[in-house]
Amino acid sequence: MRARLARVARRLGGNRAALAGGVIVGLFVVVAVLAPLLAPHSPITGDLGPIRPGVVPGPSAHHPLGLDLQGRDLLSRVVYGARYSLLIGVASVALGVALGVVVGALAGGLGGWVDSVLMRAMDAMLAIPGLIVAIGLVTLLGPSVLSVTVAIGTGGMPLVARLMRGAIVSQRPREYVAAARALGASRARVIVHHLLPNSLSPVLVAASLAVGGAILEAAGLSFLGLGVGDPSLPEWGRMLADSPRALQSSPHVVLFPGLALVLTVLGFNLLGDGLREALDARLVDPLRLGPPKA
Amino acid sequence: MVVTLALLGILGSSACSTARTATRDTLVLAYGTEPTLLDGARTADVSSSRVGAQIFETLVRHEPGGLGLEPGLARSWRPSDDAATWTFALQHDVRFHDGTAFDAAAVCANFDRWYHSTGVLQTAPLSPSWRRTFEGFAQKDVSDVPEASLFRSCEATAPDEAVVRLAKPLPLLPTALTGWGFSIASPDALVRYEADKVDAGPPPKFQGTFGTEHPVGTGPFRFESWVRGDRLVLVRNDDYWGDKAKLRRLIFRAIADGATRRQALEAGEIDQFEPVDPADAAALEAGGAQILERRAMNVAFLGFNQAIEPFSNPKVRQAIAHAINRQAVVDAKFPKGTLLARQLQPPEVWGGADDVATYGYDPELARRLLAESGVADPTIEFWYPTNIAVPDNPDPQGTFEAYKADLERIGFTVVAHPAPSQPDYSQGVAAGKAGMFFGARYGDDDPDYFFGPAFRQRPLSFGFDDPELFALVSRARYEPDHDRRVQLYQDINRRLMATLPAVPLVHVRPQLVVAAGVKGYVPGPIGPSESLAGVTVES
Repeated sequence: MRARLARVARRLGGNRAALAGGVIVGLFVVVAVLAPLLAPHSPITGDLGPIRPGVVPGPSAHHPLGLDLQGRDLLSRVVYGARYSLLIGVASVALGVALGVVVGALAGGLGGWVDSVLMRAMDAMLAIPGLIVAIGLVTLLGPSVLSVTVAIGTGGMPLVARLMRGAIVSQRPREYVAAARALGASRARVIVHHLLPNSLSPVLVAASLAVGGAILEAAGLSFLGLGVGDPSLPEWGRMLADSPRALQSSPHVVLFPGLALVLTVLGFNLLGDGLREALDARLVDPLRLGPPKA
Repeated sequence: MVVTLALLGILGSSACSTARTATRDTLVLAYGTEPTLLDGARTADVSSSRVGAQIFETLVRHEPGGLGLEPGLARSWRPSDDAATWTFALQHDVRFHDGTAFDAAAVCANFDRWYHSTGVLQTAPLSPSWRRTFEGFAQKDVSDVPEASLFRSCEATAPDEAVVRLAKPLPLLPTALTGWGFSIASPDALVRYEADKVDAGPPPKFQGTFGTEHPVGTGPFRFESWVRGDRLVLVRNDDYWGDKAKLRRLIFRAIADGATRRQALEAGEIDQFEPVDPADAAALEAGGAQILERRAMNVAFLGFNQAIEPFSNPKVRQAIAHAINRQAVVDAKFPKGTLLARQLQPPEVWGGADDVATYGYDPELARRLLAESGVADPTIEFWYPTNIAVPDNPDPQGTFEAYKADLERIGFTVVAHPAPSQPDYSQGVAAGKAGMFFGARYGDDDPDYFFGPAFRQRPLSFGFDDPELFALVSRARYEPDHDRRVQLYQDINRRLMATLPAVPLVHVRPQLVVAAGVKGYVPGPIGPSESLAGVTVES
């Protein structure tokens, strides 16, 4: 297992796109963690003084990215915004993976009527667009970081469950499973100790690729006014919601949060793509003799 | 319709290529929301009145752009000494668009139609103007109207003279009769096209075709066609009794999105829209369009529901009034010329008092008042509407954020309660669920418009009980002597600013935009109900 991890890491390192993705994501993680040190002003309180209808001061020495419609420092808001996007993105995917793995493992491992019931339920959820599910849940729970995370995580669950179940079903006929059963391992033990670890890679790939989507979905919810609750919180999607009022007269107000959003999502997608290649079963030598020659 | 469009296109392009001044015979206007019904008695929405004001006329009207009253379908009017009987002398030789004659019998047929509204037609959305002015109906069918009506009778004493008798003096009657809600319709068409045939619902649904296909009035334009969601076309009434319209055709286009309306105007596809987002005004003017203003006949306020704590505490209300920096919000978000409000009625309307208590921006004083209030946990729930931008509140969320920051600076904890403007916000506020909320009142040139609806009886949204105030507001409404009325309203203003059921915020001049070539467009003083008969368009 350790050797395999090392090989994955080596492959990732050799992939320039994945490396760039990693650097971008790392940078935003640092920004999010060090936000209080990096932000030159408060992200919440501003001064309406310099603001006039249709006139919002742009970048200057004092405010490198300019002000927003409420007279707040845009750089500070973009910096603090990284916290919300990363937190919601990672936490919601983690939740979706946790739920999906459990459901998928139960369905694939147990089979029979459990499989049918769980997978039809997942199919039903997949038939409704994720954003609609999320909108419904946030409306139900009330806007907050937690409810956005739960909403997006729940929306991502069925896909993970499907992947997980598929992987487990494909592992079930393998000899090592039969061997474990023959040695007297219980059904639960086979699922948890044998099937699950060997079926995780497609889920990991899907999860890394899903973080970008989750960040976008959170921004979308926020844009619709169903985001993190208090509108003065510096969430990127919420900042983009100013666009109808500002896009023509003061484009910087939406340009910078938009850019931050695009970069973060790009970073996660590059990283996810790299991970997919590094873990791709077709590229891995089944006899574990090292990577195939190009 | 396709032909019209093609014609417009040709006219537009030829004007561009030859760069000559030519006059167009069509004005294209845009509305954001579809009119509900072209029937003044049954609607109060802006789009309906805007279109309807071209088709229908009222007995009395405002002088163009001003607050003074001038003859409409009535040549003159005079009250009895007690202002409870009103005699209207009517214009001669006026005909409805269907060819029937306008006379005293037609006027009284309209009054009788309104007065004899039954069932669901008596509810606030379907008899808005009548209820506000005459209160009750011939018989009481819904729970929230009084037993008796102010209206007694309308009598055609001569073909050109109608006498309206009231149960009580009502000095504001002529002003009220300028409203879209008292448009005089052809009695023949009202019956023929079943104006009041309605399925009670909910929601109530009109089954006749008067308000949708056959709105018949006396105005300078006649109804031609209405394709919902697309366009509504009016054509000139060539038999109009007054100065005939200079344009041959008015087209109202439905464009729901504000940014799309602005682009359509910039592209020359439309000639007029409103309201204008203050942030767009400068860019539109730079592009050659004209920004016009209506009068500041409104007041926007921050209301308190005293049935919800801690708003019953007067010191808390005063602390909030001193804590918020209204001027900063006005400068940042409102158009130039917006007035900071000192009382709950606009200064253009008579009855204001000079010596009301005022609440300037003073965070120190606010902090002290909050401390004196003795409120241990100053947490307040602050409601604001989403998905809406209106002249009196061009950026509700931004204004909320600014005031929230002001209030938290002096020690309040503010809980945001955003709600979609329709129906959650308006219904929540009306039902008394909102602690602190944005509100606004638009009215005509009589203080009763600003105080009557909210303070004549216990107001649910404000949650307080002040029988003395309610009695005072009623007395002022029915007082026949004008000088006495002025004094009563000054007392009311002083009392309200001392008890502070709401902090007055601003009086705004609503803006509209017309294309460069539009001439003779005089915005009405109150709302979009100006006649467009005098407008010309050069292209």
